[in-house]
Amino acid sequence: MALLVANLVIMAIDARDADGKHKMLRVWTQTFASPLQNASSKASGATTGFFQQIWNFRSTAQENEQLKERLTQVETELNNARQAAAENERLKGLLGLNEQTTINSIPARVIARDPSVWFNTITINRGSSSGIEMNMPVVTAGGIVGRVITVSPWASQVMLLTDEKAGAGAVVGQLGQSGALGSVRGRADLGVALIEMRYVSGTEKVEVGDNVMTTGQDGIYPAGLNVGRVVEVKSGSATQAHHILIQPGAQLDRLEEVAVLLYHPPPRSVPEQTPQNAERSRR
Amino acid sequence: MSQLKIAVVLLVSILLQLLLREVWRPLSYIDFPLVVVVYIALQRDAWQALLVGTLAGLIVDAASGGLIGAGGFSKTLTAYIIYFAATRVNLENPLLRIPVLAAGSLLDSAIYVFWHRVLGYPPAVPLMQTMSYKLIATTVVGTLALYMLDALVAERSAQRRQFATRRRVARRSTGSLRRR
Repeated sequence: MALLVANLVIMAIDARDADGKHKMLRVWTQTFASPLQNASSKASGATTGFFQQIWNFRSTAQENEQLKERLTQVETELNNARQAAAENERLKGLLGLNEQTTINSIPARVIARDPSVWFNTITINRGSSSGIEMNMPVVTAGGIVGRVITVSPWASQVMLLTDEKAGAGAVVGQLGQSGALGSVRGRADLGVALIEMRYVSGTEKVEVGDNVMTTGQDGIYPAGLNVGRVVEVKSGSATQAHHILIQPGAQLDRLEEVAVLLYHPPPRSVPEQTPQNAERSRR
Repeated sequence: MSQLKIAVVLLVSILLQLLLREVWRPLSYIDFPLVVVVYIALQRDAWQALLVGTLAGLIVDAASGGLIGAGGFSKTLTAYIIYFAATRVNLENPLLRIPVLAAGSLLDSAIYVFWHRVLGYPPAVPLMQTMSYKLIATTVVGTLALYMLDALVAERSAQRRQFATRRRVARRSTGSLRRR
């Protein structure tokens, strides 16, 4: 009975501590488990890689030819891009615009996945010693992955975007050009393959194949990051929001390397707690 | 039952739980710590079963994205219920362990999900599908694991092995005496 009550108390404290400031047990477990997870991840990666190399050996010659062709194409594209970048810089200088601030990032490797089958968190091999803090966004080249929910000295736990508790402010199309604003979050029955977008006005035009980007209004993710692509739309009306399903840009079920953005959202102005009229009436 | 052996088996089961998902995702459906908890509860050692249940649950909770304590609670309660059943009904028969493991897995999952839902942390995966996969995987692998644990840990089976060796030696010696 005492053990059950003790577990219940720990659970209640953990449930109340939504910002994760007092997750000592979790931090310590992660600190001790991370070297083992790191070693296991490397071992399994090496074994899988070895077998994959043998498997891929057959198609190497054909792939080599394809890559050579692709390299020629990419070189041409790169030259064009360099010219465009140079032109962009020149025009910026002419207009007197400040250089856009870039967000620093830390590359990290996924060393473990959630040991329980009920959640989809991942553990990465970077922690507070690398400058990682709570709620920092985690991304891949494909798009956003999730946010940091626990930080220990050498490892961090990341809640994936597919979790029901995870969410991000997003827009269908380009920020500033589209009014299809809403929020994306996971749903248990969709698994890691899809996420849903809610609260998009039914009067906005949304089509399958449209890109979804972050708006930066959630206080976690910076604006302009890729979220994914619209794969299903159930059109709403003037009084009903669209029902949109999105395929995440990042391959969330096959994550191996990610980057943690050292991003601190701009502070929000705190609204006055007491309305001015209430103050007056007291006087 | 040696305390040290139990500690080692528990540690191995927790490590398997923490590391195997990285190797192949479906392996995470096997609840190794639960198998150990069920095994100890079936030996009718109440305190050890409850302590092992709490410890295993808390450590796995701490490494997962769920609430810390939910796994501890579910495994402790499951251990107690199995212990309670084992003291009243004879569950010594190896075949009876299969439904016990299945019921244990179902109970553990149900309690775990119940507390998460009550406290506002709904699981991120489909409930029935995950519960079924976990039930099948834990029961199949757990049945084999219980046989292995029997051979490794149980003093009774060690005694049986010792007696068998002694009997063989005795038979040989009596046989040779007869021949003389």
